[in-house]
Amino acid sequence: MNLYAGKILVVDLSTRQISVEPLREDWLKEYWGCWGLAVRYYWDLVDPKVDPLSPDNPVVIMTGPLGGTSAPMTARFNLVSKSPHTGTIFSSNTGGAFGPELKFAGYDGIVIKGAAKELTYLKIVDDQVSLESAQSLAGKGIFETEELLQPDAGTPEAKVLAIGPAGENMISHACIGTEAYRQMGRGGGGAIMGGKKLKAIVVRGTGGIKVADVPAFIETVNRHKKEDLFTEANLWAKTDGTAVLVDAISDMGGHPTRNFTYGVNEKKEGINSDAIKAAKLGDRACSTCPLACGKFTHINGAEMEGPEYETLCLGGSNCEINDLEQIIRFNRLCDDLGLDTISCGNIIGLAMDMTEKGRHDFNLKFGEPVEYLKAVTEIATLSTQRGKDLALGAKKLAAKYDSRDLTSESKGLEFPAYEPRSNYGMGLAYATSERGGCHMRAFPMFSETPFDLDVMAQDVVNGQNFATIKWSMGFCDFWGSISSPIIADILSVATGETVTVEQLEHVGEKIWNILRLFNLRAGLTRADDYLPAKQMKQQLQKGEHAGRVFAPEDFDKCLSLYYQKRGWDENGVPNSEKLAQLGLDQF
Amino acid sequence: MEKHIFANPELCTGCNRCVYVCSAVKEGMFQPSKARIHINNFPLRGYSVPSLCFQCPRPDCLKACPEEAITKNDDGVVLVNAEKCNGCGDCVDACAYGMIEMGTNDIAVKCDYCGGDPACVKECEPGAIVFVEGDKELRKLNGLQMKQRIETGSPAEKRHQLGVNLLALARG
Repeated sequence: MNLYAGKILVVDLSTRQISVEPLREDWLKEYWGCWGLAVRYYWDLVDPKVDPLSPDNPVVIMTGPLGGTSAPMTARFNLVSKSPHTGTIFSSNTGGAFGPELKFAGYDGIVIKGAAKELTYLKIVDDQVSLESAQSLAGKGIFETEELLQPDAGTPEAKVLAIGPAGENMISHACIGTEAYRQMGRGGGGAIMGGKKLKAIVVRGTGGIKVADVPAFIETVNRHKKEDLFTEANLWAKTDGTAVLVDAISDMGGHPTRNFTYGVNEKKEGINSDAIKAAKLGDRACSTCPLACGKFTHINGAEMEGPEYETLCLGGSNCEINDLEQIIRFNRLCDDLGLDTISCGNIIGLAMDMTEKGRHDFNLKFGEPVEYLKAVTEIATLSTQRGKDLALGAKKLAAKYDSRDLTSESKGLEFPAYEPRSNYGMGLAYATSERGGCHMRAFPMFSETPFDLDVMAQDVVNGQNFATIKWSMGFCDFWGSISSPIIADILSVATGETVTVEQLEHVGEKIWNILRLFNLRAGLTRADDYLPAKQMKQQLQKGEHAGRVFAPEDFDKCLSLYYQKRGWDENGVPNSEKLAQLGLDQF
Repeated sequence: MEKHIFANPELCTGCNRCVYVCSAVKEGMFQPSKARIHINNFPLRGYSVPSLCFQCPRPDCLKACPEEAITKNDDGVVLVNAEKCNGCGDCVDACAYGMIEMGTNDIAVKCDYCGGDPACVKECEPGAIVFVEGDKELRKLNGLQMKQRIETGSPAEKRHQLGVNLLALARG
């Protein structure tokens, strides 16, 4: 068949059974791939009340229809499971080259069930699939694990997905890494793999992916590349990378600084895109990406791809660390040990605030890099009481030391680098994301009316619906101008069948409603779609939006507007007409 | 003067678009393992080294072929005559860069510059591979790469070692 490998690998770690199932072709036109298709598979496998770290919680890894082709920026693949950090269904995706390699090996996705008795890795070399002992890899970082496992698959061209000590220790904000600096970052995928004692997956694939008409496909892809991708809306990724946002978001007054106290970082010159350019050795790309947003930097022996904007903010401004070298060291540690830099930076910033306000002494101070770097390793390895405390995550850490007024999180997921008090749409997006405080579901940050509750509610609905389509196809967020007509055109040429815009637009809303149904059955209610007291009651300081709060009554109104636009009742429950309209009656 | 594909690893982002499109043009599907160009990726060090056929002035593959199935044309491009190839694999062993391999039906395959309009080069946004006559700088770069002869191992291992050597020269 065109675009798909046509098979799903099913691995039961408890029984050590490995089987290959035909891809559910009847689901493809409704769910397509990546996020959507993974959600569909996951739904049938699990009780929403499952304990996320138990063997009964499966993991679904899924590639997209265009992954493995030359359609630009489609190498991303998703993991769907229930998060140990938030208790919700969640999805994490990453780029690199693992996803396409999996398809070349002959599998569109992997379903992982159960839990191994001892540390194990999954080895996939085309149709030779086995579970191998990873005992000798225990405690090793992601960088070393990748380098050790590639030759084991018989070739340096093998691709690896791995966890570090943080994942092995089931830190609930542990990530999964690949190609050193790329992560399934948010929601604790690393902890789930750790709970299953699955250290890594290594894959080598020598097969191919077909499209209906190769010359027509290459022509179509290159036309959209030239006419849409290589335009001003996206070229920042090539010229500057995400670091360009340090100046942009700070100038807008929405750049979280000093544990979300200020909206601007007045010392950002050391960590903005000019600083990144000064330290840059070269540009780096995920598989098939012609933009290459990754900037490989080097300062005083510390080198890495990045840091990206989110890390520059959470690990930088938010901790008042304005020295790029120290942020590079922080970022490398997180990437190697397997910690999400957003959560980690947010939590350390919180601990600095708690220390300085006298709530609890973590020996962490804003702007002081030595203990800040030590804390990262302590979290991942649980080697000190400080590490154990910070490993709890912002919500539980603050609850333990009576500091909930200082946190910036929703559903337990620490906020990323956009201040809700500077843009109410971002606040609503954080509160209504299926996985908690996250900017990757709707991103109205550049709206011209960021305080118009009705417009923001609609923008968040539209953004979530389209993100769901985009990430069911595997497209990267940084083809920011991509639209349903372009996706439909590429899919039509690739499959040889007409794919319409209407078909795609139905998909986003449908998947979003399934996520909601899952979370409701997991026990979540309207009360879980919250913003913390800090954003609702404490005034933002410094910058264009100094003095502003997202007042509880405004937030409540905005949330109700959002529910109405979604066709959900006041408790956030989808009504029966909406479910029937989306073909979700059986759910 | 002959036009050649020159590679500059300093500009390569590791995106592999060249590899994807090469395989689609040559094999009819996206199958990087069968491409005639490869990228050796070292993500931890932020470095990538293209492996391409140098169309050597005195090709070892040509010399090794017992059937005289390999020739060099007037444009300097080394070509395999599929009808004459007996599938012995001597050319594969002889190439010190891992750039000729056994394809489907046990016929040797290698880069033929797509008859003078290489598909890979058109995909290279950062300009890490270019198809030009080549100035002094590019020829010097090419010479440095050709010095890295790897005499043993599979084609993939030879390519990887070439990448390792060039990474060490560039970054230490």
